[in-house]
Amino acid sequence: MAKEIMDRRASDNVYLHKDFHSALSTSIEYLHRHFGSEAVSEYLRKFTRTYYAPLTVKLNNNGLVALKEHFQKIYDIEGEKIEISFTENELVLTIKSCPAVKHMREHNYPVARLFMETTKTVNEALCEGTPFKAELVEYDELTGHSIQRFYRAIL
Amino acid sequence: MIPCTDFIPAYSELFKFLEEKGGKKAVTDFWNYLSDNFLGNLKSLVEQNGLRGCWMYWNHTLNEEAADFTMELDEEAGEFFITMHACPSKGRLIHEQHIEPYRDYCEHCNTLYRRVLEPLGYEYTIDLSGCDEARCKLIVKTK
Repeated sequence: MAKEIMDRRASDNVYLHKDFHSALSTSIEYLHRHFGSEAVSEYLRKFTRTYYAPLTVKLNNNGLVALKEHFQKIYDIEGEKIEISFTENELVLTIKSCPAVKHMREHNYPVARLFMETTKTVNEALCEGTPFKAELVEYDELTGHSIQRFYRAIL
Repeated sequence: MIPCTDFIPAYSELFKFLEEKGGKKAVTDFWNYLSDNFLGNLKSLVEQNGLRGCWMYWNHTLNEEAADFTMELDEEAGEFFITMHACPSKGRLIHEQHIEPYRDYCEHCNTLYRRVLEPLGYEYTIDLSGCDEARCKLIVKTK
């Protein structure tokens, strides 16, 4: 049998490894099981405050358009069309199905009991220290369908 | 939603969070759990296809992760190699200006895959000496 060799440069492919959704779900379930639900929230808040800090700065400086652009970009990368209602004081995202949940359901990967927190807690933490707040208006655990609202709480 | 393209920073921050909660042991306990609960596909592929299962598994993951790598399979010699020229995960963590990678980030690749492959009868070696520059070399050999 001949030796096989595969040689790839980063530019040969697009960076999109959807199984990472399952890795995150497994991580959330682990935290929940071993450290409790509070640890899940605490971790997601810490991660958001750290990694998405530049986005929160933009939210403070530019208003809700910063979140609108962020969510448009990430759902576009994931290949999901979303509905967006946007004014200066309110941003509402209607997500027919969450690309993460869809990928996990399609591949029969388990979905963490608190996977919803990767939307709810992350959105709330994005708004910390800004005049805005986040509300998860609807969430369906089976599909990840959601209505996510961001609004100006301090005028 | 945290997009899959932001998983790696979330992963690195999770290692830090776990270490704050329970020291390095909490991190390695998690890696063991992840290996047992997330790498079932690697295990099945190797059980069904032998060393070629490694090729099949990493062909899928490394291409989707847009890695810069050379992968070699020599079934006659019983050897499989990955030479990672630029790891997309560690590279991402190094290049993000506002976050600090978890100190022992690359060690998860030592624990996760070893735990699957050694019980199946393979020798697993990973050289992480270049990990500060997002480079490593992984070797799997038939015993």
